[in-house]
Amino acid sequence: MECMTPIRILLADDHNLLRDGLRLLLERQPGFAVVAEAGDGREALRLAEQHRPDVAVMDIAMPLLNGIDATKRIADTCAPTSVIILSMHHDESYIVRALNAGARGYLLKDSLKADLIGAVKAVSQGHSYFSPQIRALLQEDYFREMSDKHKTDSFELLTAREREILQLAAEGKSNKDVAQLLNLSQYTVETHRAHILQKLNLHTVPELILYAVRKGIIH
Amino acid sequence: MRRHPWLALTAGFGGLLLLMAAAQLGALFMIDNLRDSGTQVQRRFLERSRTLEQIRSSIYLSGTVARDSLLAPAASASSQLAEVNRLHQQTDEALDKYQKSIEPEESAAFANLRSEIEAYWRVLDRTFAWSDAERMEYRYQFFYSELIPRRTTMLQIADRVGQLNEQALLRGDQQFSGRFEQLRLGLIGMTVLTLIGGLTLAVNTSVLILRLQNEVHTRLNENIEAKTSLRELSAKLVRAHEEERRALSRELHDEAGQSFSAILLEAENLLDEPHRDSVRPHLESIRGMAERGLAAARNLALLLRPSMLDDFGLVPALNWQARELAKRTGLRVQVSAAELSASLPEEHKTCIYRVVQEALNNVAKHAQASTAQVTLTLRNEGFIDLTVQDDGSGFDSARVRGLGLLGMEERVHHLGGEFVVDSQPGLGTRLKVNLPYADLAAAAAAATNGVHDTNTDFAGRRS
Repeated sequence: MECMTPIRILLADDHNLLRDGLRLLLERQPGFAVVAEAGDGREALRLAEQHRPDVAVMDIAMPLLNGIDATKRIADTCAPTSVIILSMHHDESYIVRALNAGARGYLLKDSLKADLIGAVKAVSQGHSYFSPQIRALLQEDYFREMSDKHKTDSFELLTAREREILQLAAEGKSNKDVAQLLNLSQYTVETHRAHILQKLNLHTVPELILYAVRKGIIH
Repeated sequence: MRRHPWLALTAGFGGLLLLMAAAQLGALFMIDNLRDSGTQVQRRFLERSRTLEQIRSSIYLSGTVARDSLLAPAASASSQLAEVNRLHQQTDEALDKYQKSIEPEESAAFANLRSEIEAYWRVLDRTFAWSDAERMEYRYQFFYSELIPRRTTMLQIADRVGQLNEQALLRGDQQFSGRFEQLRLGLIGMTVLTLIGGLTLAVNTSVLILRLQNEVHTRLNENIEAKTSLRELSAKLVRAHEEERRALSRELHDEAGQSFSAILLEAENLLDEPHRDSVRPHLESIRGMAERGLAAARNLALLLRPSMLDDFGLVPALNWQARELAKRTGLRVQVSAAELSASLPEEHKTCIYRVVQEALNNVAKHAQASTAQVTLTLRNEGFIDLTVQDDGSGFDSARVRGLGLLGMEERVHHLGGEFVVDSQPGLGTRLKVNLPYADLAAAAAAATNGVHDTNTDFAGRRS
């Protein structure tokens, strides 16, 4: 399917060598096309608006405009573009902020080759993607927090149907898609979704995604 | 005076006291003297007056006796002669006595008196040598023309001598009042001298005290300035140190880290291509080294200064610190700082972060604790309260004071805050810091804006 229309990719990293390496890696992949390269956040924003790529691969630490702010602007203005954050930071605070800004994937620079191809594919199809280390980290932190605070896992409160909807929503499906997939009315899906957010004490889609990753519901 | 103020003071006060004592003693002595001389003058005057009176009465009596003997029959003459001789002798004695205390002013008059008296006695003696016939013949003539005038003259001279004696008394009086005046002047002089001395001493002492006070004040100011500049210097050093750590951390993260990432990626790209078997292990080795280098650069950068502190603010950095410690040591760390924002002043942020870091490291190293609680609250009076509490073994905080604690305390004091460590063996440790926070309104406003809006300040990270 993706052989017919290639996935159009924007690369944004201020480190030229790394960018060259990334380009080489991506262009070897059939069905991938790097359409633009940016050396700073502002350029990335401008090129994203100009080329409307399917996926933007973005570093966090960039001059002029950092990757997280650039992601927020791209998510706001260039609707079809999904952003994958590429970073050396493997702390929760960066991941949470990247997700809040609208990023759909978060990769560590330690394991680019293994993850990047899969991440670009997943994100271009509307799914989320995180490096295995990131998933492990988030899950580990989550379990430690749970045991530290002696909290009961609110996941147990969800019904089977709600768990199903939680996974689909976290994978990036819209209410309409979920309704079609499960053969439910869109209104029912919306009600379920509201219940899920309430039971888990969550408020936004990024929080939902983060929760799903932490619980190991999605990859 | 500058070198030996005590010497000057002793000399001044001693001199003044001596002067006063001398003045008192002198005055006493002079008063005694004056009283003595006054009494003496009076006594002498009375004595001389008495002597003169005696002379005068002897002469009177002798005249009477002479008259009686001239008028009386011859038979009684011998007893009258004896009476006159007695009077003569008495007068001579009185004259000799008077002569002894004679004043120079009256010596002429006195000599005159004496010769007159001598002559008188001679004339008188002559009458006793007369025969009865001669007596009958000359007695009236002698009596009126010789005896009476002589006696009158003598009495006049005696009066003059008496007057002179009175003058002597007057002179004594004058002398007395002269000496009294002298005493008065002397006392005034002494008083003036004492006053001048006292005044000089007071002025000098005041000048000395003022100068000493000035000196003390100057020294104190110098001391305060020195302390302030020392503290400023130390604060600057801490700032410079922190700045260096930040720069190094960024450099490591951005440059070294990115380069290792690029090497890693290149190695992986190469590994995809068909190679001779001999090259492959080398490429894998390069990849492994790049991975280790990347991890080392990242860890070192975080150790120097976690990027979250500059990118997102204090609370995310503290949370990271807590997670790291939990992963590394198993210590459970809870951070509660919900209402704190990222808009704290840079120095406060760094100070709190470093204090918490040091405190948690201490807990992990020494306390054998299972949990630690970090609490940050913004008090309304413009203070930030920080508490780090553990449930560990504790220590005697009154006696133990390590370098780490001193460093924390120093940091807190730079920002005008208070630092208290409260611990007892077996009862855990509680570290309390409160930092004054000037811009309370801004903090409150930022707190209501929430923690989400915190990623504004890391756009310039690489500039």
